[in-house]
Amino acid sequence: MNPENILEIKNLSVKFPVTGGLFLRKVAEIEAVDDISFDIRRGETLGLVGESGCGKSTVGKAILNILKFASPDVAIGGSLFFNSDYGEIDLLKLNRNEMRKYRKNIQMIFQDPYSSLNARLSVGQIIEEPLLYHTKMNKSERREKVAWLLDKVGLQAEQSKRYPHEFSGGQRQRIGIARALSTNPKLIIADEPVSALDVSIQAQVINLLQDLQSEFDLSVLFIAHDLSVVEHISSRIAVMYLGKIFELGIGKEIYHHPNHPYSKALLSAVPLPNPKYRDKERIILEGDVPTPLNKPSGCVFRNRCPIAKPECANFIPVLEKKTGEQYAACPYTKYDKVSA
Amino acid sequence: MSENSKNYKNPDGSNLTDSSSKIETKIEGNDNKKDVSTSIFKKRWKKFKTLKRGYYSFIIILILYALSFILPLLVNKDALIVQYEGDYYFPVFSYYAAEKFGQDIPGEANYRLLNEKFKNDDSDNWVLMPLYPYGPNQNLLDELEGSPPHPPSIGHICGTDDRARDVFARLLYGFNISLSFAILVTIVSYTIGTMVGSALGYYGGKVDIFGQRLIEIWATLPFLYTIIIVSSIVQPNFILLVFVLNLFWWIGITYYIRGEFYREKAREYVSAAVSMGAKNRTIILKHILPNSLTPIISFAPFAVVGGIASLVALDYLGFGLPPPTPSWGQLMNQGLSNINYWWLVTFPLIAMFLSLLSIVFIGEAVREAFDPKIYSRLR
Ligand SMILES: Nc1ncnc2c1ncn2[C@@H]1O[C@H](COP(=O)(O)OP(=O)(O)OP(=O)(O)O)[C@@H](O)[C@H]1O
Ligand SMILES: [Mg+2]
Repeated sequence: MNPENILEIKNLSVKFPVTGGLFLRKVAEIEAVDDISFDIRRGETLGLVGESGCGKSTVGKAILNILKFASPDVAIGGSLFFNSDYGEIDLLKLNRNEMRKYRKNIQMIFQDPYSSLNARLSVGQIIEEPLLYHTKMNKSERREKVAWLLDKVGLQAEQSKRYPHEFSGGQRQRIGIARALSTNPKLIIADEPVSALDVSIQAQVINLLQDLQSEFDLSVLFIAHDLSVVEHISSRIAVMYLGKIFELGIGKEIYHHPNHPYSKALLSAVPLPNPKYRDKERIILEGDVPTPLNKPSGCVFRNRCPIAKPECANFIPVLEKKTGEQYAACPYTKYDKVSA
Repeated sequence: MSENSKNYKNPDGSNLTDSSSKIETKIEGNDNKKDVSTSIFKKRWKKFKTLKRGYYSFIIILILYALSFILPLLVNKDALIVQYEGDYYFPVFSYYAAEKFGQDIPGEANYRLLNEKFKNDDSDNWVLMPLYPYGPNQNLLDELEGSPPHPPSIGHICGTDDRARDVFARLLYGFNISLSFAILVTIVSYTIGTMVGSALGYYGGKVDIFGQRLIEIWATLPFLYTIIIVSSIVQPNFILLVFVLNLFWWIGITYYIRGEFYREKAREYVSAAVSMGAKNRTIILKHILPNSLTPIISFAPFAVVGGIASLVALDYLGFGLPPPTPSWGQLMNQGLSNINYWWLVTFPLIAMFLSLLSIVFIGEAVREAFDPKIYSRLR
């Protein structure tokens, strides 16, 4: 394993069983994540972008090894090599007990700020919870740390006695951030941490994450469904569609010269502040995202792809090097220079 | 005022300003308290308080139930204090033979007769009787004319039963027994049901399937047969009845809790707890359980109603508490077999109706308080 990487994801796949019938037998499978591989480097922010339902949150939860808890019948394949204090380890090989000691290193900011906070606990109790499990801090030390964290995320220390229902969605999101930061993790999975927020607060939270990142030398997997959000903060971006990674590369490059037809479509949907780029043709994708239950054969994007060929039904494209650090999973695309 | 204290340098002036500043800080403190945190429980309690019918029923039942524990001091055949020949005696707490106070009857002293005797004697001896000087199990044949049951009169406001025992006293003692029984049954069944239900819902899979089948088999045991068999072998008593009822009652609670655990387990805050490294025990006790209690808490008053009704039914059928116990079911049984003596059936029915009604009011308000809707139809 490359020591520059904090996490190497190899051939990760996640299949949820669909049960039905009288005896609740497995009748089908949802392949939420389909054989994806990528690395997260130390100290970088990797943006993971894709439409709703493409499996972004599932990737995050697979990394945390918590999918089996809520859905015990899920089938997870591949490996997740993590560079921990105790050496290199495949997280997917660990059971819940063995996993516990690595948890302080990997934390998640959950997507839904409402359901991810226990409504019965005060904010202080919520934020200090990881400290209870991973540190030997006493009560006053924990209270001090909670106050410090609350201050870091722009809330007041006095608010630690309040309960989640007394906060707005944006404030709850910050409570989630404070909780994720409490054990000084090395890797944070930030699952759409800003999509529940107003634009003004979005910028605040993103800046906050960036500050914290440089302060704590964090690696962040930043999940979003909108390229414009991740472009701002990510060193690299992975574009995901129906459980597959379609394009992976340097953020700026993907943003300005996307390779894969799906990235191009995704990008052309982003409202551009600079009028210079506005006359660029818009690619409007036809049709809907197919359900993960009924994916097209071969390339899963072919039924909506503007450059699809008949051969696309016959093979599953893999990520291949295009230009420099840029990889795309389409053999027919070519380097697309946006006139700038 | 402040000008005055400045001008005259009143030594009290400093005190005055002191205390006024204290008041100010107090007000601030209050403000803070209002500002700080209302846990969901506190919020619900506040809402419960605004539902007058249920809240007052709750207060009344609570006070009556608390008072029913000191019934021996309020409603009793035994005197509270006897002063006899210079000595004090406390018959409520201990037994004294009749001879002790110079009474010419066998067995325990009759303090009502003693009271009258001392009054007529014009001696220094006296007796302090409880508010209502009749016990639940005392036979009053010797003191009352005619044959039992005696109709209501000034001294016996609900009359007497077919063994000349005071009905009012029996009703009051019966209240304590009924409510204690129902509360105990509820607590025990809730405890067992919650433990089993959370295990099934939390661990799921094979534990759940296997456990549920076992419960289904268990639930087919016929309740009435069980109780008939048990009471044909041993004389049922309070604890035994709680036990027998709980052989069956926990099952219903299990279903509620199991369902809640299933639902809550899949919620994201639980996944978050797992991702932080919480152990099963913490997840169950700290996270899922507090979020799963709503249905069974709002059901609790109705469970108490059910407990009272069950005891009445068992007593009525003769499988309940052993005979001299002043139970409502036994009174009602008497009333129905002596239907001409209206007071025997009317007063127990009224007592039961009022108790159950107020508990239902409580239940209704609890359910409303736990309902997240803002507008209430009960207010
Ligand atoms: N526990 C589960 N059981 C069954 N299917 C699931 C489960 N969790 C997710 N899925 C399915 O997996 C697919 C990917 O879901 P996921 O939540 O990862 O999407 P997402 O990219 O995070 O979407 P969004 O942007 O809306 O959050 C979806 O089709 C979803 O229905
Ligand atoms: Mg998601």
